[in-house]
Amino acid sequence: MRYLLIAMILFVFTSCSQKSSTEKLQRFSYTPAGKLVPPTSGQGRIGDNYIYAPAIRFPIEKAPAYINSQVYGVGGYLGPRGSLCSPKNYQYPWHDNYCEKRGWKMPLCRGGKGHQGVDIRTATCEKRKYYTVAVEDGIISSIGKYTVSLRGKSGRTYRYLHQDPHSLRVHRGEHVKRGQRLGLVSNYMGSTPTSIHLHFDIRQTIKIGNKSKVMFVPPYTSLVDAYKRLLQGNP
Amino acid sequence: MRYIYLSIISLSILSAGGGVLDVDWSTVIPKSGQQKASVPYPKVLTDGIKDVHLPVYLSSQYAYDKNMIVVADKNFYTISIDLKDAVVTFQGDKTFQESVSPTNPEFQKISKSSAPVEYVLAEGIMSATFNRHGVNYMIDIECEEPKKDKRCRETSLISSLYNTLTMVGGRP
Repeated sequence: MRYLLIAMILFVFTSCSQKSSTEKLQRFSYTPAGKLVPPTSGQGRIGDNYIYAPAIRFPIEKAPAYINSQVYGVGGYLGPRGSLCSPKNYQYPWHDNYCEKRGWKMPLCRGGKGHQGVDIRTATCEKRKYYTVAVEDGIISSIGKYTVSLRGKSGRTYRYLHQDPHSLRVHRGEHVKRGQRLGLVSNYMGSTPTSIHLHFDIRQTIKIGNKSKVMFVPPYTSLVDAYKRLLQGNP
Repeated sequence: MRYIYLSIISLSILSAGGGVLDVDWSTVIPKSGQQKASVPYPKVLTDGIKDVHLPVYLSSQYAYDKNMIVVADKNFYTISIDLKDAVVTFQGDKTFQESVSPTNPEFQKISKSSAPVEYVLAEGIMSATFNRHGVNYMIDIECEEPKKDKRCRETSLISSLYNTLTMVGGRP
């Protein structure tokens, strides 16, 4: 009788948990990779649904999180007037911003310039509250003034920008496990603060015949895939 | 439309599954012979890179800095130097994560347009990337005040670091 009761409780708990995950997943929406919002913010890699970093963990510990532009979003310096903390910046759908116009050379973006990575907002507009985590097993290869670089076992380098430097839980040369906390998302960019977000990018080497080139590859599809797993409770 | 089509075709040719690039050591040995240090490098450097299987390059300006931090394994290294209000990193890597056919039009264009060394300023970080002996190297400078500090706004420091690179170790 006691075992039956435990089994029933477990069944109810599992069902609720699955239902909750399904609801979260159903609420999540995103525009296609390469589609930039607003369209004047650049020209993305429409049709590029390739997952460059398969099976990575989502870089922020908990959902929800929102990928959208810091520059062209509400309160951004090229976006509609308003607060950076506007609820409009903290809602689905996600928008790719890898090829958003910046002054930086990006060979994989049409026109040759882009953003290198994507900007991710946390659940709420609060700094020093949400943890970043290692997207795969690896080693902390460097820590700059506002950048933490993780070299994964795959050989890819993942960069996490704008964490609070005092919140970092890792040091250079430390081996980390997938999902291990790194630090807290903030607006830190040295002495010139930015908006509260995590800039996340993926640098890897692509072999082109007998040559090779190091490139920042589009992270959006890898992050959509990772986020779905996070929502399903299987990060 | 043409671009969309090209993208789809291009990416279908991308092949996941990486590996290790071949180092062309024949192009290394003559130069490294001339660059043998007369004064031993600091232990932090020699110990840190003792198992690295690619040529290790570091600017001669910092080759004797005892406070450098070395993170390395047989296929890559990162050497960080903490300066006043800035961090400089020297990196080398002989792995690849994707491969693509040299006839792929998009990557053919990228490959052809590559300069011997490329300087890029992005996210306030000044970077140099280059390929030597068949493997890839990077130098990054990250500043506390990226919008004001000339080291992260102009290429003078990074080009001087690039021009003073010396091979400090690494083995086949």
